[in-house]
Amino acid sequence: MSARRTIRLVAEREIRERLRSKAFLVSTVVMLLLVGGSVALGNAFTSETTYRIAVTAPAPPGLTAALERAARPFDDAKVRVEVVASAAAGRRALEAEDADALLLLSADRLVFRSDVDPKAAAVADTAVRTLRRHLPPEPELAIATLHPLGEESTDAETLVAYVSSLLLLMSLLVYGQWLVTGVLEERNSRVVELVLSTVRPRHLLAGKVIGIGVPGLVQLALVAGLGAVLLAVGAFDAPASLGGDLALVIPWFGLGFALYAVAYAAAGALASRQQNADTAGQPVSYTLLAVWVAGFVALSEDPHGPAASLLTVLPVSSPLVLPARAALVGVPLWQHALAVVLVLASIYALVRFAGRVYARGLLHGGPGLGARAAWRLARER
Amino acid sequence: MGLAVEEHVRLERVAVPPDDREAGSGLSVRRATKRFGPVLALDGCSFAVERGRMLGFLGPNGAGKTTAMRAVFGLVGLDGGEVLWDGRPVGLDERLRFGYMPEERGLYPRMPVAEQLEYFGCLHGLTAAAARAASASWLDRLGLAERGAAKLEELSHGNQQRAQLAAALVHEPALLVLDEPFAGLDPVAVRTLADVLRDEAARGAAVLFSSHQLELVQDICEDVAIVDRGRVVATGDVDELRRRSQRRQIELRLEGAPPDWQPSADGVRLVERRGGALRLLADRDVDPADVLAAAGRTARVVEFGYGPPSLADLFLELVGE
Repeated sequence: MSARRTIRLVAEREIRERLRSKAFLVSTVVMLLLVGGSVALGNAFTSETTYRIAVTAPAPPGLTAALERAARPFDDAKVRVEVVASAAAGRRALEAEDADALLLLSADRLVFRSDVDPKAAAVADTAVRTLRRHLPPEPELAIATLHPLGEESTDAETLVAYVSSLLLLMSLLVYGQWLVTGVLEERNSRVVELVLSTVRPRHLLAGKVIGIGVPGLVQLALVAGLGAVLLAVGAFDAPASLGGDLALVIPWFGLGFALYAVAYAAAGALASRQQNADTAGQPVSYTLLAVWVAGFVALSEDPHGPAASLLTVLPVSSPLVLPARAALVGVPLWQHALAVVLVLASIYALVRFAGRVYARGLLHGGPGLGARAAWRLARER
Repeated sequence: MGLAVEEHVRLERVAVPPDDREAGSGLSVRRATKRFGPVLALDGCSFAVERGRMLGFLGPNGAGKTTAMRAVFGLVGLDGGEVLWDGRPVGLDERLRFGYMPEERGLYPRMPVAEQLEYFGCLHGLTAAAARAASASWLDRLGLAERGAAKLEELSHGNQQRAQLAAALVHEPALLVLDEPFAGLDPVAVRTLADVLRDEAARGAAVLFSSHQLELVQDICEDVAIVDRGRVVATGDVDELRRRSQRRQIELRLEGAPPDWQPSADGVRLVERRGGALRLLADRDVDPADVLAAAGRTARVVEFGYGPPSLADLFLELVGE
């Protein structure tokens, strides 16, 4: 009998077990509702949009009224005009995020911080044209930014980055816990003795990881896929290209899950018979959380910095950090490639290690094996 | 008395190791050793089970029976020795055709019974259709036909045991290894299981099971292997082992004997007294006629029996004392 058939049989049994459980079906529906609900929530926020435009003193009479009129067609947006003493004061206000755009009428320029908001630009352009009683099509205002374009992340990018990394973290924690539970059940019901009498431990391990990973991947693909589609069709007030960044979550879940699932399975096998699934999975869960926090801090501090780059390629952290960083500022192609290679190599090494630990741990009655004993076992033979 | 004196072969405490026999068809474990820390669980343990025969695996608790059985399935890595099937080392391909009932019973608690049997059938290489048919047929034979769709945890303890047996049998194994299969069964279930095992052997399977129920083993097994402290101390045909014992069993039923009477001859020992019925064990060179004559001088002998010791007495002779 081929290894592939054995692994498939084990995986199929796990999938049937998942589909039998109501918890799986319910959690899928709940997650889909959450993503769908966030569209409504997002729209509720965007309808409140107010453009804060700084204007150098003295502001011409009628400017505020013209801006407000021009803004009305854009989802009933509001405009707040702030008069600043000089162009320099305006730049400072822009830098301090007290204003969204700076209107320099004398120079016919509209200045943004780093990214151009096309709606605000259109509003200002229309208002100035009205004031000067000019006719289209020549634009009244030249558009400029304080910083090079795209260097800073937009709010939408930040949101996608954190939501996707949070989604990955939660998925890895939840499905990892499923795996620990599955391993402990198999051991505590003693059925593992019967299974291992005919199945190689690493095939059982692989089948379980696939059998729990596939339903998890389907669930996540449904959720992230719905999010990506909603982004692409413009349901959110965000660039459509972000849908691609969100979709990146799916392959990285596959890689991250394969890596962490094997670790979870080994943790389950090494736990003592008295231990429950929650405590057995803790070492791996804590590692995941620590890595996520480190990634969050590094990306908040400086998404271009060395810490962020390191966490992007390090196998323990890349599944969580890479998709988030890709959404925030983009990841160079070589780092993508390096991260994938390193994760795959780690999965290979971990499967070999865990395959040995797995059999010994599972067939070992009584107290759990400590880390040192596990290491010794793994090195034997 | 015309009692035939048996051949004067003395039973060695360490019997002829089966690895010196020809490697026949079936299972053969040779000089297996396994140490768990300070405990030597298997100390050159050797035995063989031929196809179509049933071997009872006997020994006190902790003698190494379970370790030896787990070693057949690779669940214990041996420090030395080998496990052979038809003369070749046992690997995963051979184990596909082995059936196993572990000491610690267990199946998937929340999985329907029939689905579970099909799963194990498939894991042993059956096609899905063949596994489905075999599962249905075993459930039917073991009286579980109605419960196939029930989850294992919903079954009674007895029915869970039957499901466990079916899981070992579903793929028509060439070797069947059962660790204490009779433990905790009611008499009806014991009968059913004994019938199933006999049928499996008749089909051509090699059957190996451990048990503490020595009378049962004497009744249903052709062969036994007696293990003590990790070594097989006797193995072979049950009747032949009993005949080769250095002891003989003498049974007497007396009328009118003093309540504490017992024969005072050398080499004769009272094992059991129940009213006027006495069971004695004598060295094999003791002439039973002398015992009968001594009894006849004090009371009226209404029953007299002489023959090889029971398997239980043999077991005690080898490992109990």
